[in-house]
Amino acid sequence: MNQVALTWILAEKDLKVAYRSPQAFLTTGFFALLILVIFNFAFDPGSQATREATPGILWVALLFPGIIQLNHSFQAEMEEGTLYGLILSPTDRGVLFFGKVLANWVFLVVVDLFVLVVFVIFYNFSFSVQMLWVVLIIVLASVGFAAVGTVFAAMLSSIRTREVLLPILLFPIIIPIILAAVNGTQEVLILEEAQFLHRWLQLLIAFDVIFLASGFLLFDYVVAE
Amino acid sequence: MRAVLNLDLEVCTGDFLAIFGPNGAGKTTLLKMVAGLTQPTSGDIQFTSQDGHSGRERVGYVSHQSFLYNELTGIENLIFYGRLYGVGEVRERADAMLVKMGLRDARHRKVGEYSRGMKQRLTLARALLHEPDLLLLDEPYTGLDQHGSRLFTEVLQGLKEEGRTVLLITHNLGAGLELCSRVVIQNKGELVFQASRRQLDASEFERLYFQAVEGKKNLESRIQNSEV
Amino acid sequence: MLSQNDQPSWQLARRYLQVANGLLIPGYLLVAVALYGAFLYAPTEREMGDVQRIFYFHMGTAWNAFLTFFGVFVAGITYLITRQSKWDRLAAACAEIGMVFTTIVMVTGSIWAKPIWNTWWAWGDPRLMTTMVLWLLYAAYFLLRSSLPEGDKKYQFCAVFGIIAFLDVPIVYMSIRWWRTIHPVVITSSGAGLATEMIHALIVSLIAMTVLCVTLVTLRTAMRLNASLADELFQQLDQRGDERL
Repeated sequence: MNQVALTWILAEKDLKVAYRSPQAFLTTGFFALLILVIFNFAFDPGSQATREATPGILWVALLFPGIIQLNHSFQAEMEEGTLYGLILSPTDRGVLFFGKVLANWVFLVVVDLFVLVVFVIFYNFSFSVQMLWVVLIIVLASVGFAAVGTVFAAMLSSIRTREVLLPILLFPIIIPIILAAVNGTQEVLILEEAQFLHRWLQLLIAFDVIFLASGFLLFDYVVAE
Repeated sequence: MRAVLNLDLEVCTGDFLAIFGPNGAGKTTLLKMVAGLTQPTSGDIQFTSQDGHSGRERVGYVSHQSFLYNELTGIENLIFYGRLYGVGEVRERADAMLVKMGLRDARHRKVGEYSRGMKQRLTLARALLHEPDLLLLDEPYTGLDQHGSRLFTEVLQGLKEEGRTVLLITHNLGAGLELCSRVVIQNKGELVFQASRRQLDASEFERLYFQAVEGKKNLESRIQNSEV
Repeated sequence: MLSQNDQPSWQLARRYLQVANGLLIPGYLLVAVALYGAFLYAPTEREMGDVQRIFYFHMGTAWNAFLTFFGVFVAGITYLITRQSKWDRLAAACAEIGMVFTTIVMVTGSIWAKPIWNTWWAWGDPRLMTTMVLWLLYAAYFLLRSSLPEGDKKYQFCAVFGIIAFLDVPIVYMSIRWWRTIHPVVITSSGAGLATEMIHALIVSLIAMTVLCVTLVTLRTAMRLNASLADELFQQLDQRGDERL
């Protein structure tokens, strides 16, 4: 069975499991919703300054719940020891990595799109073609986020304090994603012309490639006993 | 801290080895090393003509954790693992295995709804699906009631008759003795006793076990005394 | 944790100590010269005044903060390849000293910035921001270390984090710089050139701080090696004690 097919089989398993018990999904989505609402109260909704801050608000609402999602992806594997089941199998560790990243990426994008819709409604943007650029940013940013996040979530899966440690480890590392995503979104939504959007997209792609590669190489060391 | 030391163990094809020992003796670590889950810090694991590293597809592992996905059905679990292990004609083999374990009727139910006994049998099915040369069982009787234990022992008996090589860790001295062809007792990381089943008297065994575990020196001196 | 892979660690710890001891005298001398250079030899900067003298140590410390991070990276890779726990001791020592130095960089940077730019914290300066991220990465590294029990797993995980973190730092720096070229900040560092004496003082200071850094790292590595050996001995004593019972 070739590697690509195996990757899909692994991801499909995660998607199936999540579909049948969507609690994690729902809590993640709800948390994001809550963040959007809280920011509504925290900042003056009418002011121009708030308007300019909205890309930042969107990404806070996407990233913090995203961490919960990542934690959960390995949480679920600890219950019945299924992670050991995967490690014991002859499956290549790199394939395990890509399978998880693929599943996590799908989850992140699905929740993110939902959050984006709510965001557009709350902050009074329009569902124009321009939004597709934001979708692209979300898609690209989620790859890098899922890549590094999967490595760390796997590492922390056996540690008690994993829920607070994952953001501590992950957030400094994904600062380039945060910069690129927020600024890219700003270019699309706030600024008159999107002059530098391509720069930010390039940064996202570079980040994704570098950390997909490093994650692939290092995953062996992260799931070992 | 060393979990296992000075361990030299040879297992032949068709052996059914029962491993006894108190908690913390290092039995699980030993099994994990054979399975390739942990690397030994020195020495190595060798399969007849192949060393342990590439042998993961030849090993089946059962622990007290089921390695099953509660949200997936019985057959979905088997098909998933079958594919991971590269089993051909996965669906047919999975079906056959379910019949063998008496789980055919439950195959479309989520594993989360299974009883403990059913889960253990499905776990065994999972471990056997890829026809492993070696089956490793780590305290599989945990949590099983009398009925479940009886059923499980019957299944293992079937495996023994098929001539499978099995390593069984258990606290259940009775079941272990019933099934095994060889016995090993591990304590504080070391093998303190080895014998073939024929050399042992089942009724005496519990006493022998406590002697072995309470001190190697004690055991040696008692054997010497009895010989004299 | 010791494994069969470890060389006799007593000898290794002693060798590290010897290096550290050897560097002590030159280190003291160099630091003395650097102090002289910074405070007496170098002329007072025209615009910024005497506060600028902090720059000599600020630069040296900054360079070493990143050097030790490189140390964590290399030690991590070496650990993953060789599985010898001594490399983890080195990584941890590098991280310790690195964190101290990074803190010093940020504090000296603030002390320097306030009179000059009238702000304690210059948001948007790529170097300052990257240094702060470095500090966060060091802190995360130590939080990870303290959440794991001693053993191969800990060393492995910390090595992986160290490698990923190190790869990330240049990307962070570049992202912030791009960000700042697009949204330039009013605060810019004075582009005034350095007088020759200043360059001398700077070079001496850099060398002095590097020697200091290396001395501290070797010292701490030796201490960690000895500490783990002591732990192992205590454990063996405990086990023997149990056996007697």
